[in-house]
Amino acid sequence: MTMQKSKLQFTPIKLHFSQQKIPIYFLTILGINLILSPLVQASTGGILSRGQSYALGLLGLVTVSLFVYLFVVIFQPERF
Amino acid sequence: MLKKRLLRSERRHTPKAKSKGLYSRAIKQAFVKLDPRIAIKNPVMFLVWIGTIVTALVTINPELFGDIPDNNPRFFNGLITLILFVTLLFANFAEAFAEGRGKAQADALRATKTDTTARKILPDGSTSDVSSTSLKRGDQIKVIGGDIIPADGEVLGGMASVDESAITGESAPVLKQPGTDIASSVTGGTRILSDELLIRVTSDPGKGFIDRMIALVEGAERSKTPNEIALTVLLAVLTEVFLIVIATLPAIANYVNSPVSIAVLIALLVALIPTTIGGLLSAIGIAGMDRVAQFNVIATSGRAVEACGDINTLVLDKTGTITLGNRLADEFIPVNGHSLEQVAQIALVSSIFDETPEGRSIINLAEKLGAKVNFDPNTANGIEFSARTRMSGTDLTNGQEIRKGAVDAIKGFVRSRGGQIPSDLNNAYESISRLGGTPLAVCQGEEIYGVIYLKDIIKPGIKERFDQLRRMGIRTIMLTGDNQITASVIAQEAGVDDFIAEATPEDKIEVIRAEQAKGKLVAMTGDGTNDAPALAQANVGVAMNSGTQAAKEAANMVDLDSDPTKLIDIVTIGKQLLITRGALTTFSIANDIAKYFAIIPAMFASVGIGSLNIMGLASSQSAILSALIYNALIIPALIPLALKGIKFRPLTADQLLQRNIFIYGLGGVIAPFIAIKIIDLFVTAVGFV
Repeated sequence: MTMQKSKLQFTPIKLHFSQQKIPIYFLTILGINLILSPLVQASTGGILSRGQSYALGLLGLVTVSLFVYLFVVIFQPERF
Repeated sequence: MLKKRLLRSERRHTPKAKSKGLYSRAIKQAFVKLDPRIAIKNPVMFLVWIGTIVTALVTINPELFGDIPDNNPRFFNGLITLILFVTLLFANFAEAFAEGRGKAQADALRATKTDTTARKILPDGSTSDVSSTSLKRGDQIKVIGGDIIPADGEVLGGMASVDESAITGESAPVLKQPGTDIASSVTGGTRILSDELLIRVTSDPGKGFIDRMIALVEGAERSKTPNEIALTVLLAVLTEVFLIVIATLPAIANYVNSPVSIAVLIALLVALIPTTIGGLLSAIGIAGMDRVAQFNVIATSGRAVEACGDINTLVLDKTGTITLGNRLADEFIPVNGHSLEQVAQIALVSSIFDETPEGRSIINLAEKLGAKVNFDPNTANGIEFSARTRMSGTDLTNGQEIRKGAVDAIKGFVRSRGGQIPSDLNNAYESISRLGGTPLAVCQGEEIYGVIYLKDIIKPGIKERFDQLRRMGIRTIMLTGDNQITASVIAQEAGVDDFIAEATPEDKIEVIRAEQAKGKLVAMTGDGTNDAPALAQANVGVAMNSGTQAAKEAANMVDLDSDPTKLIDIVTIGKQLLITRGALTTFSIANDIAKYFAIIPAMFASVGIGSLNIMGLASSQSAILSALIYNALIIPALIPLALKGIKFRPLTADQLLQRNIFIYGLGGVIAPFIAIKIIDLFVTAVGFV
């Protein structure tokens, strides 16, 4: 009995991730925030709750992302 | 003034776009454009988009980022969220409305494009009925009276009148025949009224003239122009600076013991970044393209329209642009001892195959003087005019060669046949030239009979238009095949800055290159195949719709009415586009001063800078809301100006700058102070805060 070649086309994982940039960025930001939020909570002397420091860390990272985004607009305006 | 109005009312248009449904479609699109993948294309409005999300989160949970001292923060944050969301919708609406006008026009054009059956000529000479969509470049087809021409093409045989109203709006039929530069190109979608034509298809399916027009007015090929890119960079830099200021502000606020909530910081950021121009920027560009389309001109890109605004030099053909196209024969001047009747007879025979208005007028004048055709025209051979020989005529069966043309060309012809140049020829030539007329010599074989006086009429009002262009710093160069004396008389009467007489098509490209070498941007019009290289070389090349396919493909604009004078209008629209963009940018940035004075004192009222509240706003919350409401409302308030463009005035660049800084700079500083105060009174009276 001969094996039938599968008609399903698989996308290589590397290619799949290179095509899905936005979820990767989100995941990276959330991952970094796991390190950043305890630092935020510690630096505020415990005034902020864990949720608040997590939200504040996330807001800081969004702001940094916006910095980077605006720099990309400034140096590669034709992309926008 | 009345004349100008009349001219405008006479102007024809492409199939009109239906305005019905334009608003509802724009409102729907305003929501569709909230998609982050679309929003990210506009950096200023993308920050507002992110700001709206964050304020929405602090509306749901006011203590998301820390404890808040304010009372009822949820309602205040909710109001800020709502205003930011409306700001986004207004900006999206402005863009969608401008795009919608183009899309509606594209729909109107699409309605004229129908799938028809074409009679394709097979290699064996027989015909086969095929769908118009299967026709390819190079196919030969036959169309007969009543048919819709299935594709763009070049006429190879036959003669027929064609109704081109589907694309030009002009109801008078146009005669199409092979061999001539002007009348040999046909457009798919137009209707042949009588007789039949043999056509070679010049475009592949989906790439015809109407298809290109649809793609252009729809904005499918729209890419940012250099000026828009430069402005986007400026706006991104300003936004980056304000983002840094706002991101570092909480540290200062905490230091002076006046903590600020995240919602207020976002409100301040949105008030300071140039949202007005950020929201209207693409609408201004699209509206510029649309204004050109309203003039019945199709631009290949926004870049071409914008380039019009920077034009320094206009290269204009005399005939049709500066003078009325149809010169008429006014007088015959005999030379070499010939009689007036003899000249009339030779002029008549030389023009018998000449279908141009000039040729017809020579025949009419000759017939009035009693000349008659005394041979069978079917046995004679017509010699067509060409730019190189600069003469036309008739070869009779008895071997006689009768010619008419430029005096120099006829002199050369007569010499080549062994003839002599009569001494009184130059006097006749000069007397006509000094009157600004065009002298045409007529000869039979080696003998010159006389000179025809073709009267040129300068278009009314053209001198004033050139004066306006001069004031705007635009140089005009007239090109003409006429001799030096005629050209100088016409140039002086019309008020052009420079002229080139006895010009050949190659001279056009030389003039353009010479001007460009001096760093100038050049615009020109053209219609013949000879003009194609010059149209491609010019920064703005406007081809006439009646012109050849080669000219239309080389140009970056096509004038559907084939009116060369329109080049001046197009330059005006380009300037208007740049001025509108500059003025609204100035206004948007000038607005910041009032918004700054509204929000900063409100934020830091507790640290003793209340004296900065020069508008006397009721409370810190009402001040922030008033500034944001003004910020949102100014976008729809300026949509009509962005779409219509600032009224164009023929002033120098310095005068325009002074005027616009005064109106939009000073106005941009004063207007928001008044508006924010009025909104503050309203917000307080209604009891929002």
